[in-house]
Amino acid sequence: MRFLVITVVLLAVAVASRFFLFSGDPHVEVAAEKLFSIGGFKVTNALFTALVVDIILVVLAWLATRNMQLVPRGLQNVMEIILEALYNLLKNISPKFIDRAWPLVATIFLFVLTANWLGLVPGGSSIGPCMAKEHKETARLALVEEGPKAGSIALIPAAAEKHNPYTTCPEGTSLIPWLRPPSTDLNFTFALGLLSFVFFTYWGFRTLGFGGYLSKFFNLNGIMSFVGIIEFISELIKPVALALRLFGNIFAGEVLIAVLTFLVPLALPMPIYGFELFVGFIQALVFALLTMAFLSIATTGHGDEHHGGESAHGPDASKAH
Amino acid sequence: MEALGINLNLFLAQLINFGVIVGLLWVLLYKPVQKILNERTARIEASLREADQVRQQLASAKRDYDAEIARARKEAAEIVAQAQERAKAQEAEILKQARSEADRIREEARAQAEQERSQMLREAKDEIAELVTLTATRVLNAELKATGHDKLIEESLAALGRQN
Repeated sequence: MRFLVITVVLLAVAVASRFFLFSGDPHVEVAAEKLFSIGGFKVTNALFTALVVDIILVVLAWLATRNMQLVPRGLQNVMEIILEALYNLLKNISPKFIDRAWPLVATIFLFVLTANWLGLVPGGSSIGPCMAKEHKETARLALVEEGPKAGSIALIPAAAEKHNPYTTCPEGTSLIPWLRPPSTDLNFTFALGLLSFVFFTYWGFRTLGFGGYLSKFFNLNGIMSFVGIIEFISELIKPVALALRLFGNIFAGEVLIAVLTFLVPLALPMPIYGFELFVGFIQALVFALLTMAFLSIATTGHGDEHHGGESAHGPDASKAH
Repeated sequence: MEALGINLNLFLAQLINFGVIVGLLWVLLYKPVQKILNERTARIEASLREADQVRQQLASAKRDYDAEIARARKEAAEIVAQAQERAKAQEAEILKQARSEADRIREEARAQAEQERSQMLREAKDEIAELVTLTATRVLNAELKATGHDKLIEESLAALGRQN
């Protein structure tokens, strides 16, 4: 009973916290924002975060391997556990290609995981320079103040954006956070998707031969010719699906946290943070696993599948005779 | 595209950045970790093999030891048996020797006794003969006056010889 009362009171305080903890509009920008320019090349916060991830990974790698012991301790042990578990998991998918794919898929996992979790560091999305607003056709989430939908949050054109009185940024500028997970930047996810696609397609061609690989999609084999075309389309969609899956999941998490923090600043975003930690891990793992699975599929010809099927049925058939 | 933030330069920058980090982690992390994992695997395998060898060596040493002990025991038993046999043989030999010695001594004693007896007899005979002669001489000295003297002696002697 007491527990219930405490919970209800805490929830009430959390909900009421909106009225005394002001955070301004949730900062949700679909495109990564420019932080600074180097010789005309604009560096966005997503690219900047990617560089931070690079540094974190390199430093971790250096710390873990600078004094390798046969009996592992500390960071070396942690790294070994992570890498060995990942290696064994990926090895189950394609034992033949694991050693060729290992550097790429392991980096996909480590990089995406670090990037996703970096986006959850408190302050990551609320500390940054104030930049002059660029007048461009972008959309952002903001509180609707007029009209029938007043009080709710909706995607509104950037031009209609009002100055946020709760930031320290002067009028006409807005806060650009330093950190933004690269996974919430389509440039990064598409780059990763393309890399993955080029990788497994290259090994498909190399393993099955030029004609062998193409014959998976283009053949004159009755119904299979039609199936091949569908497979070809699905093959082309794979990198796009990879990119959008990662972007969608992580971006949605960021939006969820931003909106919840805006609506109920106290307590309620906490479990969502925990959930987003999990989502960040799962998405990193899924990207790595799918790259490996696509590699396995790409390096398996139609002939192989048939042979496999025949040998699987072979013993039974001979018994029946 | 612009609203989504897609930009070729940024795309290429992310691509290159990721390629670079793949290379860096390959050299800095995956290779050393793989190396140490392989090393550890090799070490553990070698240790297991070594342990197996040691176990085998121990077993064979135990076997050798047992065999050696059994052989030593058998040898000892053989030596004891031989010694006993030899002792028995010696005992028999000694007994035999002793017996034959005793026999010999007895034989010698007997022979000596025989010899002494015959010598004694001979001597007695001679003495008796002398005595007889003396006696006869004394007895007959008066009656016979030395006639038929020698003949009587011979007859007496012959009679003595027959008696013997």
